[in-house]
Amino acid sequence: MGNIKLGVSLYSFTDEYVKGKLSLEDCIRTAAEYGADGFELVGTQMLSSYPYVTDRVLSEFKTMTNAYGIDFVSYGANTDRGVRSDRDLTEEEMLQSAIIDVKTAGKLGCKVMRAQYLLSPSALAKLAPYAESYGVKVGIEIHNPETPTSPIMQSYLEVIEQSGSKFIGFTPDFGCFATRPNKPHWDSALQNGAPLELLEMAAQLRYEGVPREEGRQRLLDAGANGAVMGAFQGMYGFVTFYKEPDLEGLKKIMPYVVHFHGKFHYLDEKLEEASIPYKDILPIIAESDFDGYIMAEYEDHISGRALEMTERFLRMEQKLLSK
Amino acid sequence: MAFMLKLPFVDVVSDGSLKHTYVNGKKLGYEFQIRLSNYRGHYLSCLKELSIKVDDEAVNPDDIAFCLRDKEFTIKQLPSLVSEFWNLIEPATIKVYLPDSLKDGAHEIEVTMQLRIPYMATPGSKHSHDYATLDSSGHKVLTI
Repeated sequence: MGNIKLGVSLYSFTDEYVKGKLSLEDCIRTAAEYGADGFELVGTQMLSSYPYVTDRVLSEFKTMTNAYGIDFVSYGANTDRGVRSDRDLTEEEMLQSAIIDVKTAGKLGCKVMRAQYLLSPSALAKLAPYAESYGVKVGIEIHNPETPTSPIMQSYLEVIEQSGSKFIGFTPDFGCFATRPNKPHWDSALQNGAPLELLEMAAQLRYEGVPREEGRQRLLDAGANGAVMGAFQGMYGFVTFYKEPDLEGLKKIMPYVVHFHGKFHYLDEKLEEASIPYKDILPIIAESDFDGYIMAEYEDHISGRALEMTERFLRMEQKLLSK
Repeated sequence: MAFMLKLPFVDVVSDGSLKHTYVNGKKLGYEFQIRLSNYRGHYLSCLKELSIKVDDEAVNPDDIAFCLRDKEFTIKQLPSLVSEFWNLIEPATIKVYLPDSLKDGAHEIEVTMQLRIPYMATPGSKHSHDYATLDSSGHKVLTI
């Protein structure tokens, strides 16, 4: 049996943080109040001395984690391949930048780090000895529309297996197991004048696996307006969904999972996520040997509902895991 | 056509921030604060465009200083600043050189600010170094 710990990614509180309604300390305290044992933060969002850690910032974090009884578990790193104005970073340069991130994560006391897939499989393999030296496990994020068995992720799996290192692996985002259209997108499309029958047609095209271009044309022929086409883009992109989500793929990569992102967009009062089937996903993890965190990651920032939804998400996890 | 995102979390031109810049007791220009309206911070090299209009009149870029913490940069320096990071919740100060400054009263400040999103390739693009654009432009009437 595994040992699942519940955490909150402070990214969930993006809107409140950017607007100054919640300070970094408020975000950490709120995560602890909702019952999280640990938290993740995105370096480019909330680390004031990014990409480094100054002693002062470190001691501020220690004061806060001690005060609220929560661990700083995970560091979200970005792969900014296009940071230069004249050209893309080379693979070697992206590796060097990821090494800085690993050092920062280690200094912050984080045991895990999320990396983005612009860091290539071979760069990830070269990062392994650094990850080991600094005591930070690095997980490549599997984010919608990628799935555990999509070709890119299979190429990561190959190098992870070949490396034999326990310090590189995956960070699956549960959004990649969605089985229904994204509710906030759907609702906002309706509000913006999308006819319901055309939205339903778009969802059906996606369920049937109709190729994007063909689907696009069929919708336009049926008279779809901009609101429908906007929702359709999402359905074939970052918020895609499947009749049969890749749960078999998840089982295969479980030995290499570093931690999870518990994505959610909307939970009703019965604690059901509108598009991601948590009651099917969580038992797979509970029955594996996974020992680590699920970091709650809310993503409908502009709604202003982050606090309520995050609190519900933690309750949903506790209910489904009988915690 | 460029792939453009806008994330209107905050006002780009900050309320109540317009004031005269005094040097040796004389007005030598004016200054105001701007925010990055996004969900994360960026290196200043990602600023593809930053231009200012005041009362519908374009400000000469060579008269603009972009100030972050204790540092001051020219607009032309921005593209090469790959290690100067603009934190998400930190306002930057725009200083404009204008002897005698603006007349006291209300002025329309218009900021056009576009960033290269350095991890998000333009969807469907087959070119290298082709990224989506974040539009963090904004305008507001401020009183000096």
